[in-house]
Amino acid sequence: MNGMDITKRKTLRLAGRLIVLTLFLFAIVGPLSSLVIWSLAERWNWPAGFPQVIGLKYWAQMLTGDFLVPLRRGVFIAGVVTVLSLFLAVPLGYALARLRFPGRIAILLAFLLPQAFPQLPVFASATREFYRVGLAGTLPGVILIHLVGALVFAVWTMTAVFRSIPEPLEEAAMNLGASLTRSFTTVSLPLAFPGILASALLVFLYSLDEFTGTLLVGAPFITTLPVYMYTASIGYELQVASMTALVLMVPGAMLLLLLERFLKAEYLAFLGQL
Amino acid sequence: MELAKETPRIRGMEKTLWVGLCLPSLLVLGFAFLYPLLASIWSSIIHEGNFSLVHYSRVYKLYRQDVIFTLGVAVSGLVLVLLVGLPVCGYLRLRTFRTVEFLLKVPLFVPFVVVGHAMRVFLSPHGTLNGLLLLAGILDPQHPPSLASSWIGLAIALAWKHLGLAALLFMGAFRAVDEAYLEAAQNFGSGILRQTKDILIPMAAPSIAVACVLVFASMLASFSIPLMMGRGSGPQMLMIDVYYRFGQHGDYATAGALGVVAYLMASGAAFVYLRNLVR
Repeated sequence: MNGMDITKRKTLRLAGRLIVLTLFLFAIVGPLSSLVIWSLAERWNWPAGFPQVIGLKYWAQMLTGDFLVPLRRGVFIAGVVTVLSLFLAVPLGYALARLRFPGRIAILLAFLLPQAFPQLPVFASATREFYRVGLAGTLPGVILIHLVGALVFAVWTMTAVFRSIPEPLEEAAMNLGASLTRSFTTVSLPLAFPGILASALLVFLYSLDEFTGTLLVGAPFITTLPVYMYTASIGYELQVASMTALVLMVPGAMLLLLLERFLKAEYLAFLGQL
Repeated sequence: MELAKETPRIRGMEKTLWVGLCLPSLLVLGFAFLYPLLASIWSSIIHEGNFSLVHYSRVYKLYRQDVIFTLGVAVSGLVLVLLVGLPVCGYLRLRTFRTVEFLLKVPLFVPFVVVGHAMRVFLSPHGTLNGLLLLAGILDPQHPPSLASSWIGLAIALAWKHLGLAALLFMGAFRAVDEAYLEAAQNFGSGILRQTKDILIPMAAPSIAVACVLVFASMLASFSIPLMMGRGSGPQMLMIDVYYRFGQHGDYATAGALGVVAYLMASGAAFVYLRNLVR
């Protein structure tokens, strides 16, 4: 009797898990697999549950300049933004983590604003200022607007990274007569390398996926892949847009698998803002 | 020992060097964010050179419904996130289920614009979901429902994207709950649902509140997802209004006023967020 109960319970539990798994697979994979189906649909006339003609016609567009120009441009912008934001954020992050100076907390909080506040109205206003100084519609303008959002991730991760390096290591260097700058370059900076790498990855991904700032500041001359996808989508080129969307998912998917294997969970929280 | 705790002293040349190194970041933030923020607030309260609330009365006249709509969508999205996230994360705290844990993380790594477009092709009248229902024979092809352009579709899309972040924060909070409490409850025979409801959620309440605030503020300010999904008629999300006011009408003042309304809605949320982060 009791034994029957236990097997019954086990079956029920297994069935419950299967149901949850199916629901999750459907809810999470469903919308994403729609992109695959749409990118392959050469002809899909309603009413039909599935495309009538399937093929790689739209994927062939990937090799055209139409697609490659925004791709290259986006990668270039992301590269520049990553290098610049590290140059800017590494010293500031170190200063915020190690030095005591007035306004330290205020600066940290100020660097949260671009993520805590609604971005669009501010970016719209920034676009107007950029028009005045001739930055709107230019590459430097887009890089600058990306830099603002990127600095949030870079400054906060760098501050956390430098804080996690034990202070006595630097104190030892200083007791032996090293200046602050020397102990920074010879002790802290090399130890912070993995953190700097993680920060660079986050910033690169942020810039690659950035849409709002690029749409406002870059228009009409600077197009990156997210803006290209938006233009295709409002022009009802759903196949082109779906193919671009899939390409845009590649770096994120790679990072997900990488983090699953190698990195700490703390870095994940920063990604939620992307 | 006391001496070692002291802040490293820097003087003269070195001080100039460090100030010089830190200044550019602040300049970028000031020029491309803080100044535009203040400028947009300023332009919203000035009319023909004088202080005036005329832009706000325009917002009230034209966009009252949109403010309510935006709040409604954000609240529904948040409720969806809580309804799915809390029980599943509770389960994952007490039992292992690797595949579901992995699936929960996926939305975190899908860019906002991509979520918007994916949900559009998934939920539109001739989209993949309706196609699937058609294949199953439970859909009238003459009148396919359009979830994509309804507020429900919008709330679902926003909930989908934010589930990743919320689940991460919920899981973190649940993991911090001491095993002893859970074991005690298990000894009295309480199941997973009971343990989640009566132990995990109450003990993780402060962190859950922070997560809610974050998700809510982000949904209020969402722009790319509603833009990609598109809505023909009816009330719009506030950020879409800001975009059209700015882009099509060149009306900075009203866009600024709409922005301030959004800041006010989000800043209540942001306040709690910042206080918890600094602590």
